[in-house]
Amino acid sequence: MILLLVIALLVWRGINRGVIITLWVVGIVAVIGLFRFHVTSMLDLSF
Amino acid sequence: MADGAVDAARGIEDPASSRGGMWGFITYWGLHAWVLAYSVVMLSAFYIQFVKGEFPCPLCMLQRYGMILATIGALFVIMQARRGELTTARYAQGLGMGLIGVLAGASVSVRQIELHILPGDPGYGEPFLRLHLYTWAFVTFAIVMIYVGVMLILMPRGIPHAPAVGTTARKLSTAIIWIFIGVVAANVIAIIFLEGFAPVLPDDPASYHLIDQLTGR
Repeated sequence: MILLLVIALLVWRGINRGVIITLWVVGIVAVIGLFRFHVTSMLDLSF
Repeated sequence: MADGAVDAARGIEDPASSRGGMWGFITYWGLHAWVLAYSVVMLSAFYIQFVKGEFPCPLCMLQRYGMILATIGALFVIMQARRGELTTARYAQGLGMGLIGVLAGASVSVRQIELHILPGDPGYGEPFLRLHLYTWAFVTFAIVMIYVGVMLILMPRGIPHAPAVGTTARKLSTAIIWIFIGVVAANVIAIIFLEGFAPVLPDDPASYHLIDQLTGR
């Protein structure tokens, strides 16, 4: 989430487009990684 | 090679150089509607979190990430337009970021809908207008997908055109951008309180981990 805030501020500041897109790609990969973790992790359930 | 140079080398006139008109106005404020709508959606999620006391699950937070990633694409286009640097290629890049962002968010929404699809399952959290928040999130992602598709069909018409510096419209644009950045900053604080010193959110959060950890509960 901190990365997303940094990207939003960099877009506002008008930093180099390549940096913004690279950081955005890092963000999307991180979200996909988190999604994969939460989908495949063991749930603490008992029946 | 710069976008303009690439287009010039191919003999393609960049329509952004002749931007303006009604379509440029509509698409510029359409992007602001996108930014403002997702800001309001996330503020509503805060209302449910803080006023109604429902803690967001990891999938809920991932959907917020998808909304923010998508909206950064819209913000990217708006800022390029405000600086007068927007080309067709950069407009397409921003829309592409938006599309991939909503695709990521929609994937998470579908996953959460599937988790509660069995008949009789009460779902996660209280429904709003008969649908749960993750279902509404999917609806918003679908709307943005359609919006991006329509914008791509309209190209090369509809390159966003920013109002002049110092006008009321420009100030309104700045206010909407800062509302979004403020909402993202509030999410940063919220996630720190929710996760505490853990690397990820618990599957079924019932308290603010940071407070629990600091008070030794």
